[in-house]
Amino acid sequence: MNRHQDTEDQISPTKRSHHKDQEDGLRQVLQEMEALYEQNQSDVNEAKSEGRAKLIPSIKLRHCCLLRNQRCVTAYLYDRLLRIRALRWEYGSVLPANVRFHMCAEELQWFSQYKKSLASFMRSLGGNEGLDITQDMKPPKSLYIEVRCLKDHGEFEIDDGTVILLKKNSQHFLPRWKCEQLIRQGVLEHVVS
Amino acid sequence: MFIADIRKDFYEVVANQRVVLLVAPDIDALCACKILQALFHCDQIQYTLVPVTGWQELGTAFLEHKEQFRYFVLINCGANVDLLEMLQPDDDSIFFICDTHRPVDVVNVYNDTQIKLLIKQDDDLSVPSYDDIFRDEDEEGEDSGNESDEGSEPSGKRRRFDEGAVERRIERQRAKREWEARRREILFDYEQYEYHGTSAAMMFFELAWVLTKDTKDMLWWAIIGLTDQWVHDKITNMKYVTDIATMQRHVSRHNHRNEDEENSLSIDCMRISFEYDLRLTLYQHWSLYESIYNSCYTSCSFKLWTLNGQKKLQEFLADMGLPLKQVRQKFNSMDMSIKENLRDVIEESSNKYGMKDIRIQTFGVHFGFKNRFLASDMVHATAALLESAEKDDSETDNFIKALDALSRSNIDRLHSGIALAKKKLIAIQQTVASCICTNLILSQGPFLYCYLMEGTPDVKLFSKPMALTLLCKYLLKSLCSFTHGVLDVEKGTVIVVGIPPESETSDKKNFFGRAFEKAAESTSSRTLHDHFDTSIIELKTEDRSKFLDALITLLS
Repeated sequence: MNRHQDTEDQISPTKRSHHKDQEDGLRQVLQEMEALYEQNQSDVNEAKSEGRAKLIPSIKLRHCCLLRNQRCVTAYLYDRLLRIRALRWEYGSVLPANVRFHMCAEELQWFSQYKKSLASFMRSLGGNEGLDITQDMKPPKSLYIEVRCLKDHGEFEIDDGTVILLKKNSQHFLPRWKCEQLIRQGVLEHVVS
Repeated sequence: MFIADIRKDFYEVVANQRVVLLVAPDIDALCACKILQALFHCDQIQYTLVPVTGWQELGTAFLEHKEQFRYFVLINCGANVDLLEMLQPDDDSIFFICDTHRPVDVVNVYNDTQIKLLIKQDDDLSVPSYDDIFRDEDEEGEDSGNESDEGSEPSGKRRRFDEGAVERRIERQRAKREWEARRREILFDYEQYEYHGTSAAMMFFELAWVLTKDTKDMLWWAIIGLTDQWVHDKITNMKYVTDIATMQRHVSRHNHRNEDEENSLSIDCMRISFEYDLRLTLYQHWSLYESIYNSCYTSCSFKLWTLNGQKKLQEFLADMGLPLKQVRQKFNSMDMSIKENLRDVIEESSNKYGMKDIRIQTFGVHFGFKNRFLASDMVHATAALLESAEKDDSETDNFIKALDALSRSNIDRLHSGIALAKKKLIAIQQTVASCICTNLILSQGPFLYCYLMEGTPDVKLFSKPMALTLLCKYLLKSLCSFTHGVLDVEKGTVIVVGIPPESETSDKKNFFGRAFEKAAESTSSRTLHDHFDTSIIELKTEDRSKFLDALITLLS
């Protein structure tokens, strides 16, 4: 029978550790689609040449399967794109290496094009300087916040060149915009007193 | 050098700079740190906070940050040691030291450029004057210059001049030797006793007051800092009462702000009130019976490790007319009729049993409907958190937890601290009882000595300095001069704490710091003087006996 199971597996949440499985799964689906298409092709030729109308329902069935597989695969790829777009907002314009490892070349290209269009949009706002809308996702309460370091992160440079040593359990009082990235990554924790 | 105007010479100097705060692990330092942090938040002064538990960590933290930061604020560490020699800083590093440890090292007092002491100059210091300790080296140079000039004179005169010069030189050398002997004596007198000065938290609260940025939160932290000094027996009763009076003025000033308004404060706001409350530790968060049983003062007065003592306690309760059932219940669930006059009733009865000071001046806070705390409750809870002997938590984790517990928004943490403090007090009581009953206290000449073996229950709890000190003071109440050792199994070392003799008028001066140093030197025992309190050291187990022998000979 047609292996819908493949596509079912495919649409389940893509964990980055199942990267290899996803690739294989996708390939299997594509192979299945090819196989179905071949079968359909031969049956259509047979039906046309020999006029066996009995083959029509099975052709229709395979066609429906093909269409469904196509929908599943495109849904999966689109979902990946949406996640990649969210990565830009979470990580900034440079992606960490372990994330890039899981993206294929076309996705990386898509990402850089998205980056470019976001950047040109941001430049067009706010007069001459542009406005960085990836900062301050929630309305800020103060310019500086107190943060606590949750793990050793080494040295961290702030705007005027000073380097702060982020050691575990040290607390710092820093400008908010520099800390946001690290808070999102879980290195720093905002201390509310 | 001492800072005259704390606002101009400290706050405005760091106003636009980045600062490193190096904070020692005691409650007074934590409170001072919170006050300073709140001030820095107000004025957006960027800082980095690093907890340091000993001299080594202080050195490491300094090395890590010295490239990037110029200003260092040391809280409750660094005054009693020659800081410049220990850290070897560059010329542009400036240190602001707010430390309760006395005596302040003379180099720190007389250094004009790099060390600024955030200490009041009249704070019971009796620093030797400059001329007694430091002598200009120029005089030496002049002598040799004169001599070389005289060398070019003709030979006849030269001999006469030489004799004169030689005499003068001998005279100068003799004067120099006398001066040096006197200097050594002065320094020895100055440095032989270790004691504590005004609370660091109070210093910073005063800074906040001068800047008119003081809030009730800061006032409460200052009160906790002061109470910490009293709970851990670091200041005399006189000083405590004087400082309480100072704090009382601030409290009434804050309370008067809101009295005139028709609508009084919302119930969630913080109210601080002066209380002449009982000296029973944590009694409002425990049952009255447990609190009386485990508080140092009452337990020692009744001698609760003896059967006789326990009978006396029962009599005491009966005398006050408190039924046992009530007294063993949680305090909050006691009958209102009993709770109303409790303090007066207890005071009356305790006078009969020889406990004259059952009540002590202190402050309490309450906010919300449920949350009422006395300053001493906060101190015990935070101290228990700071020194909790959990395996997974490092010391800086505990520091952070204790720091959090001081904020009003972390009541859960405070309650867990109170639970830990109860356990600690019970452990102390049991250990004291067993020590006295099994005669673990040995008389070693001029002092008494007690050694806690490996298998003693709760011994891990006592491998931390503050808990150990509390235990010793507890033991000491009925005995005299004392040292105490606890085995720390992991490192094969022993932590030794020295407590000065206990008396009514004791001025809390501790000579064990210097004594330990000298004993260690003379026997070349492997010791680690890492704690900021010089009377607490770590010692290799094998060297214990020879160290003790040296100590005995030294002190007798």
